[in-house]
Amino acid sequence: MRLRVLPGSPAALKVVAAARSAAAAVQLCWARPGEPPPSPLCAPWAPALQLESGAVLFSANAICQFFFLQRGEEPNELSTQWLEWEATELQPAALQALYARLVLGRTEAAAALGEALGHVERSLAGSGTAFLAGDKPSVADVVVWATLFPLLRDEAVPAAEPLQNWFRNMTLSEACRSAADTVLLPQHLQEFTACLQKLPRPLLDAASGCK
Amino acid sequence: GSVGEELALLEKALGLQSGYKYGAQGERQIPVLQTNNGPGLTGLITIASYLVKQAKKEQLLGSSAEEKAVVHQWLEYRVTQVGRQSSREDTRTVLKDLNAHLEDKVYLAGNSFTLADILMYYGLHHVMVDLTVQEKEIYLNVSRWFNHIQHYPGVRQHLTNVVFIKNRLYTNAH
Repeated sequence: MRLRVLPGSPAALKVVAAARSAAAAVQLCWARPGEPPPSPLCAPWAPALQLESGAVLFSANAICQFFFLQRGEEPNELSTQWLEWEATELQPAALQALYARLVLGRTEAAAALGEALGHVERSLAGSGTAFLAGDKPSVADVVVWATLFPLLRDEAVPAAEPLQNWFRNMTLSEACRSAADTVLLPQHLQEFTACLQKLPRPLLDAASGCK
Repeated sequence: GSVGEELALLEKALGLQSGYKYGAQGERQIPVLQTNNGPGLTGLITIASYLVKQAKKEQLLGSSAEEKAVVHQWLEYRVTQVGRQSSREDTRTVLKDLNAHLEDKVYLAGNSFTLADILMYYGLHHVMVDLTVQEKEIYLNVSRWFNHIQHYPGVRQHLTNVVFIKNRLYTNAH
């Protein structure tokens, strides 16, 4: 399996963290800026997983789920719901915040994500579990954490304990920490910023996150 | 054309006894299903996958790890890229994407009919109804797939049958 990622992209962090969490045997390939993706369905910053069968997965969340499925971890209703929420609600908000941070130099990420963070916090408090879909980390935790991490790591997040504990647990886990060290190098972030800068602003305003 | 309606169609296609009540949440009218236990389920993919399991038709979610991931990918594509409020430009992109993907496939996930085909069919129905004969030819692979799905037992129900010109549709298909 070949995993192609764009340096510095939050979607890259997500799939590398998922591959390491699930101990998937993948060959990591860095995409050069401007290099065409292996499938026309891939967004410029989206990772792509080329499978032995020849199939290409172009959705970061589907790639993450594939790694966990391969290890025998089936999705349940909660993890499916988190993946859907992340794709439809969190990603568009996070992309806007990331654009504001990296391209426009503004730092209101936590504020822009307020509603999303509130949702995570209420869910953790309501379920009473340490992780999003139960008592142990699942694909849902990796996917949500990886989208939040590039935005929140440098900020003091005003959050209640369940959210802070969850975020810290994930950030300190071996798989997530090593993925962040691999993906979010300063030169990688510059490349990703350059990729974001090329996007027309209206596209971002309408962005649904995947494309 | 609310999502509740789409889920009601799915229930029937799955052969479930109707009786589920859906709410809608927020600006985007995200469907919510109140279940007997727990805080309820939110989102089209989440509720649709739940209904598939209730109907004991898990094969519609894919069989192997790869197929399950591919089904999830197309369900995600369906909820993030295909919508009622899509511009003409967005719709064209979707049709182009699907046409390329379906070039060498019978179904979205390859050789198996899955939930991704059902929900993509419901999501694209209003688009396909409005296509001209020429457009149906441009997106030949989508047309062939759509025609196949609308004739799949139990899927179409009361939705309009979209007419395709058969000999054109099938001359270049194989």
